[in-house]
Amino acid sequence: MIEFTLNGAKVRTDDPPDTPLLWAVRDTFKLKGSKYGCGAGLCGACTMHVDGEAVRSCVLPVDSVAGKAVTTIEGLAEPGALHPLQEAWVALSVPQCGYCQPGQIMSAAALLAQNPNANEAEVESAMAGNICRCGCYPRIKEAILSVAGRASAPPLEELASEVAS
Amino acid sequence: MNGLANVSRRRFLKASGVAGGGLVVGFTLTGCSSSAPPVVRREGDFVPNAFLQITPENRVRFYCPRDEMGQGVSTGLTTLVAEELDVAPWDVEILWAGVHSDYANPDFGVQGTGGSTSIKAHYRQLRQVGANVRAALLEAAAGQLGRPVAQLSTDSGHVVADGEKLPYGQFVATAAALEAPADAPLKRPSDFKFIGKDFARIDALDKSTGAAEFGIDIDVPGLHHGVVRRCPVAGGTLKSYRDEAARAIRGVTDVVEIGSGVAVVADRYWAARQAAQALEVEWELPSLAGLSTERLRADYRAGLDSDGDVDGERGDLAAGFGQASQVVENEYWAPYLAHAPMEPMNAVVRIEDGEADVWTGCQGIGAAQGLVARYSGLDKSKVRAHNTYLGGGFGRRATLTHVIEATQLAVATQKPIKVLWSREDDIQSGLYRPASLIRIKAGVDDAGRLTAWQAKRVGGNIMPDTLRNMMPALLPGAVGEGAIDWMVGLAHGAFDGWVVDHSSIEGLYEDYDTANREVRHVTVNHGLPLTFWRSVGHSYTAFAKETMMDELAAKAGLDAVEFRLRNTQDKPRLQNVIRVAGERLRQWPRHAGRHLGFAAHSSFKTDVAEIAEVSIEDGAIRVHQVLCVVDCGVAVNPDIVRAQMEGSVMYGLTAALHGELDLENGAIKQSNFHDYPILRMNEAPGVEVVIIDSAEDPTGVGEPGLPPIAPAVANAVFAATGQRLRSLPLRLA
Ligand code: FES
Ligand code: FES
Repeated sequence: MIEFTLNGAKVRTDDPPDTPLLWAVRDTFKLKGSKYGCGAGLCGACTMHVDGEAVRSCVLPVDSVAGKAVTTIEGLAEPGALHPLQEAWVALSVPQCGYCQPGQIMSAAALLAQNPNANEAEVESAMAGNICRCGCYPRIKEAILSVAGRASAPPLEELASEVAS
Repeated sequence: MNGLANVSRRRFLKASGVAGGGLVVGFTLTGCSSSAPPVVRREGDFVPNAFLQITPENRVRFYCPRDEMGQGVSTGLTTLVAEELDVAPWDVEILWAGVHSDYANPDFGVQGTGGSTSIKAHYRQLRQVGANVRAALLEAAAGQLGRPVAQLSTDSGHVVADGEKLPYGQFVATAAALEAPADAPLKRPSDFKFIGKDFARIDALDKSTGAAEFGIDIDVPGLHHGVVRRCPVAGGTLKSYRDEAARAIRGVTDVVEIGSGVAVVADRYWAARQAAQALEVEWELPSLAGLSTERLRADYRAGLDSDGDVDGERGDLAAGFGQASQVVENEYWAPYLAHAPMEPMNAVVRIEDGEADVWTGCQGIGAAQGLVARYSGLDKSKVRAHNTYLGGGFGRRATLTHVIEATQLAVATQKPIKVLWSREDDIQSGLYRPASLIRIKAGVDDAGRLTAWQAKRVGGNIMPDTLRNMMPALLPGAVGEGAIDWMVGLAHGAFDGWVVDHSSIEGLYEDYDTANREVRHVTVNHGLPLTFWRSVGHSYTAFAKETMMDELAAKAGLDAVEFRLRNTQDKPRLQNVIRVAGERLRQWPRHAGRHLGFAAHSSFKTDVAEIAEVSIEDGAIRVHQVLCVVDCGVAVNPDIVRAQMEGSVMYGLTAALHGELDLENGAIKQSNFHDYPILRMNEAPGVEVVIIDSAEDPTGVGEPGLPPIAPAVANAVFAATGQRLRSLPLRLA
């Protein structure tokens, strides 16, 4: 049994320990937001956070997250609310097919958590591991910079009340 | 755009079940149909058409007939119907249409999405649907309220009477009993509220939260996962295999021989994947097995010297070359390419009690239904086909081998099956953009006019493989595989020595005025499966044509823009985008070390001119900025047009700078993104899009932005280095 925290909830699985975290999350815990794109750490479609760090879950054995906190796109914002990056993604109509976008947003969120004022070069280098075959790069970059430019991200309660209005 | 984001945010919080019964208002516009469209409804619903459903609670549902692969078609088509129905597009609930003749693409006559046709083909049809339903609701309201229609108006899903807003839902029962008009007047363009306006695409929210459901996300109780081992050489067949090691893996339930190879079925994807790799398989290799890229190119080169088949002939070629003061002749190469959509191919098939369900994100859900029926032996009427969002299409999702595989496994194992291809399967066992060798010889006179244009293309044809993939879906099961092989053989023969497959040469000669021209095609086909790849033939013909034009302009002593303007007297719309882009070229802020390249091309009835700003850094080509000027008629959603141009530029840049598949012993050498690289953010240029204001009906948008980018970059590389690069991908000497 491998135990870890998934989007704030304690979970356990008897998946074989070398099962990639991506497939444990998708097949065992039925969270489908994280995507499979390459299975080799090359595209970023599977990006999740482990203890706040962006990881490629397709090449990370599930037993390596034992005791750690895993966050997927489903757990990025409070229920019913959006992360500021998600707000920016919608405002700029970033997604095309949308398949890469959960991974893009998770990579961007990890970047801004560590470097809230990331500049263009820092965004490009942090996001170079995420492929978007539809070519949404100019909008992804603009969306991240629009959030990075803010003095501070609005607290979640404020977002929630905006949503309710 | 802030207000728009808020609109979408409210959508996010809306409950998503449909409450109560509803009125499905509809009109069969494509002629009579024998069966009811597959619309989700309750007893008492009125179902005269396939597209719209309005519930008494005033919920408007639209059954979207085209497939959403990122091109924005769900927002676009919803906008058409909503504009005339007078509801906000983002208040409409969008559902994927099932299989029915009413959902045919008006351009194709079958249910398929591709060829940059959707907005163009549905532009008047879906507006008419909206207008007719609005007229029916107004008439119902007039009856219920006892007032003439002339005293009523509509606004955002409401009938307005004396300033009072009454929801459409109040009138659906009455409307259902009326004979709806078939040709209610359409709005004047000056009255459009949504067409031509920017607003956030409707699917942006679901695609930013992980909620958007793709084929790969489908789950059903008892689902098992199939992973197929296929011969590394296309056309190879299974000789023998050993499965002891595969069966020893926990969770594996079945090992099954199917048409495309041998498959392992397990209760988890990862177990099936591991087990498939543990199979020891021997293959019977086909003739393709001897092929390498070197031999392929030698065969193409030999093909250039044969006559081939004549397609377009006009004037007198010899006389045309006689009038020329300059004659230039060059050869251009483009390699095989994979589409590599981010979501690899997948399908779920469940067969239970003589009925089947198939879920797959595809560019033709009717074909999915047909394939499940054929390979399960069920009648089509017993197969429910469900579309999903597509994690990219680009032409790849018109071929549904994965649906056949899932059906065969569901039949063999009696379990619901999901088949998922790996990225390696996608690159090595798929269908490809054909490789192509082109020779162009052209003459230009002292006045800078083209006098002769002679072009020949060598390569394989898409059409026979398209038939191979479509026929099993379309033909009744009684027509066996042997008969299909025979018909495909006929098609191969027909396109080699009888008629030219137009998609092989499209874009090679049409754009410029030439009194004297000849286009020939030489079919050389080694058997690698071919299919449509975003912009199809234009993806390589524009590269040849537009780099040739750059050279000819230089020979004629004219700049790239002026030379093209002189040779587009017969093409005013193309000439206009060249003129507008040319104006920008003149004003372009110059940076040291950066160089500009120009190209223009018409495809899918849309005209595009592009400028690429390029520098050479450490021997590598770096594209900094791209301008794209496009005339696509009315831009139904300008922001989505911009997004499609941006995306086409990126897709085309991947091909221009990186894209190349090699053959070694008949197998594709590349396997994943490390050796088949896709453009990344740190290489992506800024893209500015200028949309020409137009009142003409819409033309294609999803593909036409792609063809000009490779030649624009190549022409900029010439400006930077003096090197004429005539092979894709572009590599400096
Ligand atoms: S799927 Fe994990 S990096 Fe591509
Ligand atoms: S939106 Fe399609 S791959 Fe990024």
